[in-house]
Amino acid sequence: MTDVRSHGIVLHARDLREADKLVTVLTRTGGKVTVVARGVRKQASRFKALVIPLTLGYFLLHSGKNLDTLIQGEIIKPYLGLRSDLTRLAYAQYFCELCDAALPEREPVPEIFDLLVTGLEKLEQDDSSARVARCFELNLLESLGYRPFLDGCLNCGGGGPFRFDREQGGLLCPLCTAGPQAIPVSGAAVAVMKRFLDGGFHRLNVCMVPQGLNKEIERLNFSLLARVTGRSRFKSLDILRGLEEEIK
Amino acid sequence: MYYPEPIGRLIETFQKLPGVGPKTAQRLALFVLKLPREEVEAMARSMVEAREKTRYCSVCGNFSEGEVCAVCRDTRRDTSVICVVQDPRDVLAMERMREFRGVYHVLGGAISPIDGVGPDQLRIRQLLERVRAGKVSELIMATNPNVEGEATALYLARLIKALGVRVTRIAHGIPVGGDLEYADEVTLSRALEGRREL
Repeated sequence: MTDVRSHGIVLHARDLREADKLVTVLTRTGGKVTVVARGVRKQASRFKALVIPLTLGYFLLHSGKNLDTLIQGEIIKPYLGLRSDLTRLAYAQYFCELCDAALPEREPVPEIFDLLVTGLEKLEQDDSSARVARCFELNLLESLGYRPFLDGCLNCGGGGPFRFDREQGGLLCPLCTAGPQAIPVSGAAVAVMKRFLDGGFHRLNVCMVPQGLNKEIERLNFSLLARVTGRSRFKSLDILRGLEEEIK
Repeated sequence: MYYPEPIGRLIETFQKLPGVGPKTAQRLALFVLKLPREEVEAMARSMVEAREKTRYCSVCGNFSEGEVCAVCRDTRRDTSVICVVQDPRDVLAMERMREFRGVYHVLGGAISPIDGVGPDQLRIRQLLERVRAGKVSELIMATNPNVEGEATALYLARLIKALGVRVTRIAHGIPVGGDLEYADEVTLSRALEGRREL
C-alpha cells in the first residue's frame, strides 16, 4: 500500500472512539479517501483545525488495509467566509455531499477536485449562492460524464418547446416520445444551462438568474443528479430549502 | 475464550460502554467478581436509578432530577444572562469553572446541513420563548468552535439581535499552557482577531 501526499478538501468528519475522527477527504491525486485522524479531538492535537469540514489542506496519508491514517498535514485555506453565513455553509456542504455521493473511493478525478475548490471560492465571493450552486451542479455532471444534451432534440435535432428527459439525458421536441418523467423546460433555462456548461464559473456574476428560473434549473439538475448518484434526496439540500423558506 | 455464562454476559455488557474494548471489559468484569456483594448491588442500583430518575430540565434542557434542574431552581443565579451550549456535558464543563453565575440553555446539538440537522431539530424555539418571556439582557454563545457550532451561533445571533438582546460569543485562541509554535493558522488568526488591550 502506498502513501498519499496530496492537496485535499475535507468533505465530512465524524467522531470515532474517544479522541479520534473519521474524516472523508477528497484528495486531488488519490481520489476520495476515508481517513482515521487519531487524537484530533484532544486539546493538544495539532491537526484539530485541519480535519474540520470545508478545509483545503495538504495531507500526508498512510494507506492501510481498510482505512488510511492521517500522518501529517497543513491548512492551505479554511474558507472562513463560508462558515460565517448559514446559507453559504449549507450550499458548501451540499457541494461536499454531492461529491461524496457521486465519487467512489480511491478513484482520482482531479477535475472534480478543482471544480470543488473553484466552487467553494465562488461561493465565498458571489452574491448569489444559488447561481453558483446551479453552475457547480452542471459542471459536476459534465465531469462525471453526464453532460446534458441541450443543442436541440437529442433524437431528431428538432426545435422546441422542449421537455427534459433525465433517462436519455437531454431535450426532446414535441414530436419525439419522452419518458413519463420528462419535465417541460423553458428556452431561458436551456440558455442559462448552456452558458453555465460552456463558460463555467467565468464571469458568473454577470449572469442574472431570476428565482423562478433558478428553481427550474435546480429541478432539472436534481433529476439528473438523483439518477447519477442513486439518491432521491440530499440532507443538506433539504435543510437549505427549509432555510430559504424561513428567509422568505 | 471460555467463560461461565454469567461472566461472558457481563463482559458483553461492559463492551457496550464507550471506549471499552474486549480486554478492558474482561478486566472490569473480573474486578466486579472480587467486589463485596453490597458494593455490586449499590453499583447496579445507581445505574438503574440514574437511568430512571434523570430527565431533561423543562426550562433549559440540562440533565435534571425533577421538572426543573438545580441551576434553574437556584435563586442566586442571574437569569438575565443565558449561556447557550450544545450539550448537557458542556454545562458540566462550564460549571467546573465556578465563575459563571448566569443560567444555561442546551440546544441539543448544532446545525449541520450535511447530517440533516436543521434549526427545527434543536431547542431554538424554546430559547426564543425564554428570551421573549423573560428579562434577558445577554446571550452568550458557547457552542463549539467548529463549522457547525459557528454556524449555529451566527444563526441564533441573527434571530436574537432582532429582539434587541445583546449577543456575545466566547473567545477563541491559544489554550492556557499551550505552545504558540504548535498552534494552527486558524486558531492563531482567531487569537489575533480577539486580542485585547493590556
